[in-house]
Amino acid sequence: MPRKQKESKKIDARVSTGIVGLDEIMNQGLVSQRVYLTRGGPGSGKSTLGLHFLTAGASKDEKVLFITLGEPESQVRKNAQGIGFDLNGVNFLDLAPTPEFFTEAGGYDIFSSAEVERGPTTQKIKEEVERIKPTRIFVDSATQFRYLSTDAFQFRKQMLALARYLTEQGATVVLSSEGSDEAPDDDLQFLCDGVISLETGPDGRKISVTKLRGSDFRGGAQSMRLGNKGMEVFPRLVPEAYTKEYIAEPIASGVPELDELLHGGLERGTVTIIGGPTGVGKTTLGLQFMKEAAGRGERSVVYTFEEGRQTMLKRCMGINIPVRDMIERKTLSIVQVEPLHYTPDELASMVRQEVEEENARIVMIDSTSGYGLSLGSGDLLSHLRALTQYLKNMGVTTILISETEAIMGELRATEVGASHLADNIVFLRYLEIAGEIRRAIGVLKKRTSSFEKTLREFEITRYGLKVGEPLTGLRGILSGGITFGKMSED
Amino acid sequence: MKTSILTVGSNRANLELLSQQLQKEGYEVLSVASLEELDQTIQEKKNITIALIDLSGFDERIWDRCEELRKAKTPFIVISPQRSPLIQRDSMKHGASGLLVKPLGIKELMEYIHTLLGE
Repeated sequence: MPRKQKESKKIDARVSTGIVGLDEIMNQGLVSQRVYLTRGGPGSGKSTLGLHFLTAGASKDEKVLFITLGEPESQVRKNAQGIGFDLNGVNFLDLAPTPEFFTEAGGYDIFSSAEVERGPTTQKIKEEVERIKPTRIFVDSATQFRYLSTDAFQFRKQMLALARYLTEQGATVVLSSEGSDEAPDDDLQFLCDGVISLETGPDGRKISVTKLRGSDFRGGAQSMRLGNKGMEVFPRLVPEAYTKEYIAEPIASGVPELDELLHGGLERGTVTIIGGPTGVGKTTLGLQFMKEAAGRGERSVVYTFEEGRQTMLKRCMGINIPVRDMIERKTLSIVQVEPLHYTPDELASMVRQEVEEENARIVMIDSTSGYGLSLGSGDLLSHLRALTQYLKNMGVTTILISETEAIMGELRATEVGASHLADNIVFLRYLEIAGEIRRAIGVLKKRTSSFEKTLREFEITRYGLKVGEPLTGLRGILSGGITFGKMSED
Repeated sequence: MKTSILTVGSNRANLELLSQQLQKEGYEVLSVASLEELDQTIQEKKNITIALIDLSGFDERIWDRCEELRKAKTPFIVISPQRSPLIQRDSMKHGASGLLVKPLGIKELMEYIHTLLGE
């Protein structure tokens, strides 16, 4: 594996939650033989988390037990099947009320449920635990035990005793709780060794670990998705946790004049902003580096936020960038990012997978404003900073496409205030020369090497990119009022 | 001879639970679920030491039966679904030895019965 996790301090035997991202924020999983609480409102994913936890154990032939006090076993199985869980190895103890409870034969009110049911419930749990000897137990939900206790003190005492009993039997236990402002579950939070909170906010679903006895953990709310793969957790990217040895060599574009302009190309482990107005050729320029990388057998990924994948494919084929072949040979992936479908952390997770599992060497975000608009609200620049810093640490060449609004006029590298993220800034401009619209390319900044200070003409033809000789004698490049004229005439 | 307790109530689940608890304590239990059954039991002059009457599901006619029990010198405890001064007053008026409000604590109920029986 190329990455080195700096935060890998193993203290105790760990038990995977079955959710990769959650294990990551919990420093490799749950500490075994302890009791954890997963809390949240209805539909927040508590049971799904429990199913991941149990099936992760069952898939390794561990004995696991699902104690259901709310939904009947048949319903849990049906729901689990709907999201692709295989519950074959999962044992159930169904303590949910049966339909007969509501008939005369089952409904009673002479004694409190605490008086009547605590004994039989405890006995059933004891019998099943001793029969199955599970290493993982999920109790859904522990809130129901409240109705089996006469008061808050009794509840706490009984839950402590239950937790102790189950862990002494060798099990790691996850309890679910429907904690809310109206019905707080602070008592459960106090007695459990770890607390995982689930919530839904304006920025989507979030998961946070607020307590984990005996272990380090990553605090704060992390992105979470509930879908047809169950629960996926996308931890906030901490770039410092990832490093990779690499040679900071320049990668060429394959267009000699362009490489001359850049004094060799764009270095690995750097971030380049390609800025310019609409239609000037920013994406094409980025793809040119990918075309050349594909020739070396290296993989690149484009995350396109504005242009459709098919449009991009068609356009590239028309200018001699063989994207279809590149995709077939797995040297290119074009990912169309649907607006408001992903959070920045989900995108970061996708990028990480490309870098760490597919060995992508060039990543292009097309464009920075699209990134901002598509990924919703929040501190987007800090997310983008983390992502680019991660890519730098991993030796990936990052290209950020940045559209400037003005077609002509004063030069701006980027409209989203992201220029400080860049090691290199390459700009494309429209020029009006003798009544004709032409394009020019120049370099504004290059942190790791020197660069040519002049503009060159830039053309997109059906044979590919063409970059001309340096345009000497141009004036007013930065202000936009470009004219030909010698410096000495000023 | 075992002490015999008559339980009266319209909810069979309640009667069943009550019986189980009383039998666990070593009492003999006779349960009736309607006024008709209660009438029959009173007429048969069965050997009842004490009666527990759950008012839920009965109308005012239950008080006539309470009077019958009083005449037969059978002590009885009224079990009420709610704390109500009216029920309390009527219970006392018709000779109840005590009034308990649901849900009952098993321990408290047993202590009450023991006290009433002088155990």
